[in-house]
Amino acid sequence: MTLPPFALVRPTTLDEALRELTEDSVPYCGGTELLLAMRAGLHRPDALVDLKRIPELTGVRAGDGMLVIGAAERHADLATHPLILERLPVFARMEKHIGNARVRNQGSIGGNLCFAEPKSDVATLLMALEASVTLVSPGGRRTVTVEELIVGPYYAEKEPDEILVDVRIPLRDGLRGAYVKFQTMERPTVGVAVLADDAAGWYRLGVGAVGEVPLAWSFGSLAEIDPDDIASRVDPTPDLAGSEEYKRHVTAVYVRRALAKLEQVSS
Amino acid sequence: MTESVSESVATSGPPRVPVTVGVNGVSVSRQVEPRSVLVDFLREDLGLTGTKVSCELQVCGVCTVLVDGRPVSACTFLTADADGADVTTVEGLSDGQTLHPLQESFVDHFALQCGFCTPGFLMMSKALLDGDEVPDREAIVEHLEGNICRCTGYEPIVEAVEHVAEKLRGGPHG
Ligand SMILES: Cc1cc2nc3c(=O)[nH]c(=O)nc-3n(C[C@H](O)[C@H](O)[C@H](O)COP(=O)(O)OP(=O)(O)OC[C@H]3O[C@@H](n4cnc5c(N)ncnc54)[C@H](O)[C@@H]3O)c2cc1C
Ligand code: FES
Ligand code: FES
Repeated sequence: MTLPPFALVRPTTLDEALRELTEDSVPYCGGTELLLAMRAGLHRPDALVDLKRIPELTGVRAGDGMLVIGAAERHADLATHPLILERLPVFARMEKHIGNARVRNQGSIGGNLCFAEPKSDVATLLMALEASVTLVSPGGRRTVTVEELIVGPYYAEKEPDEILVDVRIPLRDGLRGAYVKFQTMERPTVGVAVLADDAAGWYRLGVGAVGEVPLAWSFGSLAEIDPDDIASRVDPTPDLAGSEEYKRHVTAVYVRRALAKLEQVSS
Repeated sequence: MTESVSESVATSGPPRVPVTVGVNGVSVSRQVEPRSVLVDFLREDLGLTGTKVSCELQVCGVCTVLVDGRPVSACTFLTADADGADVTTVEGLSDGQTLHPLQESFVDHFALQCGFCTPGFLMMSKALLDGDEVPDREAIVEHLEGNICRCTGYEPIVEAVEHVAEKLRGGPHG
């Protein structure tokens, strides 16, 4: 089906891109979500502002205890990036299993977060990792946590003239992490992230895809994580992937599996 | 009547985008509408109908082509984004005389029945085999997960790709 008509703007600097954005002139990166929404008639922008040529939105670097990932970086590249494999292998392992190989070649990390698709693996793991994002608008720059950004299904708390420039993940020496998901179709039914920094006594659990937004909690020890208690804390959305009751059940199962998997990983 | 309407839309619509794309080794320059997607460009503008289109949701994989060697869903890929890139379609696999080893293996292993999914599976498989590592069965299954075949039950497709991978392993790449 033909897409509705739109103009395409291809800025090469962040300032130029920011000047182009309005309610009807929207950011465009891989298009894996946006073009589908436009084809379905849910969205009819006058212009797409392509972010792929802006240098600030590319690259992966580590510094000041943070891993910084450019918003336009694509899943396939993040899954194999040497720095991520070395410093945060759990993130690379999650990226390797997003959607399918074609979606991973086109879709960006920034687009994943800004679309706020409830069945995102990226948001679940990032929330558990206590990651934040940098948003830039003509008025300035601000940092918000992923938890503050993803406020509802398909709803990211950002202004239309704001661009997500990068994702910032705090690095922890000796971090162990596991991400497991149950997926029968293109997107997960449930995704569970469990992270452990034993030296700091820092433990996090994230559960996503079952409800409208991912949820994450801190614990004082792994023993405190009770899968049945977690299943009662989530608020599942019944859909084609299963009923509320069923989703609570798989949540408990996958929390158990994530904990078991964590025992087998050293990073 | 309809024609003049669509013409006036075309001339008054958003400005066209100049693109130069290497399609199966041939450089093609065109002015395209911003909304032009690669699968329509290939099939309708260039007459390369080997690439199929079905779900338009990035789910079935029949529209798979390689852009600079990487598989993408041409149903949801703007032609403008292929500017300056090399695009390989199923038509680029064979020289017209000899089949590509993957095509030959698909025939030998009965990896197609109706054949509608085949161009997509071939292009996905080519991208995998062109990579640095020769894939094992598990890697092949995982990589082809995003492609749908309604006829074969997948087993012969995986075997066909595995067969070519085994030959690569034994050959100069292995
Ligand atoms: C078939 C399929 C399967 C999928 N499976 C999974 C899965 O298993 N797990 C998972 O986590 N995800 C999955 N996804 C989602 C996928 O990760 C996202 O579609 C993708 O990463 C979105 O990025 P994009 O660059 O294509 O975004 P686009 O479609 O270009 O943009 C999406 C939205 O974000 C806005 N936007 C994009 N970039 C920015 C930016 N830098 N700043 C401000 N706004 C921006 C756009 O305006 C638009 O509203 C799947 C998608 C598909 C189509
Ligand atoms: S038609 Fe493109 S993925 Fe199905
Ligand atoms: S051979 Fe018919 S869909 Fe695969």
